[in-house]
Amino acid sequence: MSAVELNDVVKRYGALEVVHSIDLSVVQGEFVVLVGPSGCGKSTTLRMVAGLEDISGGTISIGGRVVNRMAPKDRDVAMVFQNYALYPHLNVAENIAFGLRVRGEKNAVVEAAVSEAATILDLTPYLKRKPADLSGGQRQRVAMGRAIVRKPRVFLFDEPLSNLDAKLRTQMRAEIRRLHNRMGVTSIYVTHDQVEAMTLADRIVVMNSGRVEQVGSPMELFLNPANAFVASFLGSPPMNLLKATVTAANGAAVARIDGTDDNPAQLTLPAWSAAALDAGQRILVGLRPEHLEIETGTVADVQNIPTTVDLVEPLGSEALLHCRIAGQPVVAKVDTPSDVQKLAEVRQLLMPTDRLHIFDLETGRAVNGRS
Amino acid sequence: MTSRMTHYLKGIGEDLRRDWQLYLLALPMIVWFLLFLYKPMEGLQIAFKDFSPFRGIAGSPWVGLENFRTLLEDQIFIRAFINTITISGLGLIFAFPVPIILALMFNELQNEFGRRFSQTIVYLPHFISVVIVAGIVINLLSPTTGVINLILSSLGFEPVYFLTQPEWFRSVFIGSNIWKEAGFESIVYLAAIAGVSPTLYESARVDGASRWQMIWRITLPCILPTIIIMLIIRIGNLVEVGFEYIILLYQPATYSTADVVSTYVYRTGLQGTQYDLATAAGLFNAVIAFALVFTANRISRKVSSTSLW
Amino acid sequence: MAHFNLYSRGDWIFGYANAALIGIFVLSTLYPFIYILAVSVSSGAAVTSGQVILFPKDLTLAAYEFVLSDRLFWIAYGNTFIYTFGGTAVSLAIMIPGAYALSRSRLRGRKFLNLMVAFTLWFNAGMIPFFLNMRDLGLLDSRFGLIIGFACNAFNVILLRNFFEAVPKSFEEAAKMDGASEFQLLWKVFIPLSKPAIITVGLFCIVSRWNSYFWAMVLLRGEEKIPLQLYLKRIIVDLSANDEFASSLMTSRYSFETVTAAIMIASIIPVLLIYPSIQKYFNKGITLGGVKE
Repeated sequence: MSAVELNDVVKRYGALEVVHSIDLSVVQGEFVVLVGPSGCGKSTTLRMVAGLEDISGGTISIGGRVVNRMAPKDRDVAMVFQNYALYPHLNVAENIAFGLRVRGEKNAVVEAAVSEAATILDLTPYLKRKPADLSGGQRQRVAMGRAIVRKPRVFLFDEPLSNLDAKLRTQMRAEIRRLHNRMGVTSIYVTHDQVEAMTLADRIVVMNSGRVEQVGSPMELFLNPANAFVASFLGSPPMNLLKATVTAANGAAVARIDGTDDNPAQLTLPAWSAAALDAGQRILVGLRPEHLEIETGTVADVQNIPTTVDLVEPLGSEALLHCRIAGQPVVAKVDTPSDVQKLAEVRQLLMPTDRLHIFDLETGRAVNGRS
Repeated sequence: MTSRMTHYLKGIGEDLRRDWQLYLLALPMIVWFLLFLYKPMEGLQIAFKDFSPFRGIAGSPWVGLENFRTLLEDQIFIRAFINTITISGLGLIFAFPVPIILALMFNELQNEFGRRFSQTIVYLPHFISVVIVAGIVINLLSPTTGVINLILSSLGFEPVYFLTQPEWFRSVFIGSNIWKEAGFESIVYLAAIAGVSPTLYESARVDGASRWQMIWRITLPCILPTIIIMLIIRIGNLVEVGFEYIILLYQPATYSTADVVSTYVYRTGLQGTQYDLATAAGLFNAVIAFALVFTANRISRKVSSTSLW
Repeated sequence: MAHFNLYSRGDWIFGYANAALIGIFVLSTLYPFIYILAVSVSSGAAVTSGQVILFPKDLTLAAYEFVLSDRLFWIAYGNTFIYTFGGTAVSLAIMIPGAYALSRSRLRGRKFLNLMVAFTLWFNAGMIPFFLNMRDLGLLDSRFGLIIGFACNAFNVILLRNFFEAVPKSFEEAAKMDGASEFQLLWKVFIPLSKPAIITVGLFCIVSRWNSYFWAMVLLRGEEKIPLQLYLKRIIVDLSANDEFASSLMTSRYSFETVTAAIMIASIIPVLLIYPSIQKYFNKGITLGGVKE
């Protein structure tokens, strides 16, 4: 039985539909991350699960019960807010206890629960402090403590790390995952940060313009993006997408990269794609930056692509090359050679053919002959 | 159509069930507003009736605009109306700019302590009741023991009976009002000034502007929206003067300049029990006030983008 | 401070002139209080012969003894405390929940109710209909009537409502998820979070209750219920026109002037006592609800 189930869920504000028919099934104990650019409907979806927004269509069930018209408090869920929503007039212990107090729990129960949560979150020394006297990370933990004591069936997280600085974010990310491993509570987590999504999720739901683009494990989505949007959203730097036209040569499909250059670049497409493509079809050829190389490696089937380098950004052991292929911008992530200056002189990029992704330009959908 | 209607009604029902606690919280206040501010509006009909307390509102016969006709033929009412406008108009000219100037002056005061101290002092009279202000005025202006007249007589002048001579009333009223309220009203402007970005002044100083120029070219233009809003409120209140204060300060000898519509209403209605006439006078005033606020707001919305609602 | 080289000479003269003008304004604000205080502790003879201008003459507390021995003064003082604190408590008890409800967007009919409140800022039935309504409600000559009849005003409601509206939404949502009822939400979240606004409105209520006299004069009959301001008004204004009473007060120790001055000081003192604490808040209050409606 799934812990949370969304069936054909729709959200409308007046005539404006912001979430179109979402279907999603979250398994007991699973950590699911909703990720997408701002305005994609991920927060709205989460808030519908929480009961903070009305559901305009479809059904949401939690633990097998349809909760469409149920008040948030009766849904057996707890939520961590982006700004934590800690009450400034209450100290840490009272903040954590709030949910139990308003439910009229007995004093002994409340105290035991608070001290247990405080132990789990390393907050015991701070129980008497007010939120204003805590660091960002501590506040974040109090917010989680408030969710934990409720012992809910589902945790909901609404961008809980976006108010933290980069270093703390990484640290808290790991802490949230550890907490999940320890407690095993079904969690739905909303973020716009694809790194958070990749690192935290058992399964990722990529959303865009109120629709689900793809659902799958982080590596599934990374390796086999269902469409150009998912491909360009996950991965850092994102996948390069080059506009191209399919031509046929020697029985294999060849992509002629669009460009103004006199000598347009050409890429031979993998053998499996020939059957799935028509000559003259407009496509996007996807190249992950980390798959582009400048020296011949171990991979056998490699093509040379002529290029010009605009800019070199050394990151340390790796460097980003901002290049152009047939005039279209491309980023390559390569190992930094001993002489960084050399990178500026790179004239060609090496691309393993079987690592190419192909998407239909019009629909954005992946062209997939592998299955 | 009917199904949409029932759907709508069902929506109300569901909202009521979901938010009944909220409605319960709102209820006392709503009842209060209905009972003490809206129910009296029912009593406005006596402005159009020949009202007698014994027959009650419903039992009294309608007389149309008879009461208003009586009013407009009543020299005392006409005088009261003219006095109202005159006192307000003079107040607008003399009293309105004072808090603005005060705020600008406070803002230019460099010494933090001096600034805080002087603000504390000038805000104080706002919290003193009009009864005490009237008492102070009576004391200070007393022809025999008042300081003003002691000074005048030491300079060889005859004592002036400020409170019994009609020509002095407006000056006394507006002057003491400035003393009481100007300081406190400056808070609004100070808040507006505090909202002006300091970088504007810094860049002006780099450009070589003097403090005087900065007041005229930065501060004043920046607080203009606030000034306009306050002006609108003032114009809207043009027919409402502080009658609770006037009642304390005026006497039959000064009625010719001091009697305003509200004091007229008070005398004819509450002291004289001519309820119908007094209500008509009050309504006359209220309608003009309402029209004034509305027009002022219209104009301001056109002139600048500032408006009250 | 080390600012002097940052300003030109013209700016310096400007600064001094400005400070001097403010000094004059401050002194003229302060003088009437000092004068009244001086009169109240001077002998009646000194005041009537015009010797008191700034400093007290023939220092005496005779006027205060006279005032404090008046039974009605104490009754009026006690009544004012009832009206001030009872009235403020009732005002807050009605306005806080009401303003809170009006601040919630889920309240159906909210627009209409807000308009209903705001409309009274611009139009009201006026003195006579209000009086007749109070009479019809049986609230004439009643302490309760004076308290309940002036419990709310649109300005304060709007001020509170604006403050409640500005409370970040997630506080409410978090409490809702925790299962707080509407009452718990108001009591445990919104009221503690809105302390400054509530104190501001409370202080506005206290000051206006303490200072009002007009409706007490209109609505109350007997002496037993009158507030201090009305007692003051009767002595200062009504009796100053009454020479017989004024001269009956005349002794060498106190006079009509010193007695009225003493009463005024006695009624100002509580205001002065809470004034420092008000100061912190009215700045905020004015900017909160003052212009934004």
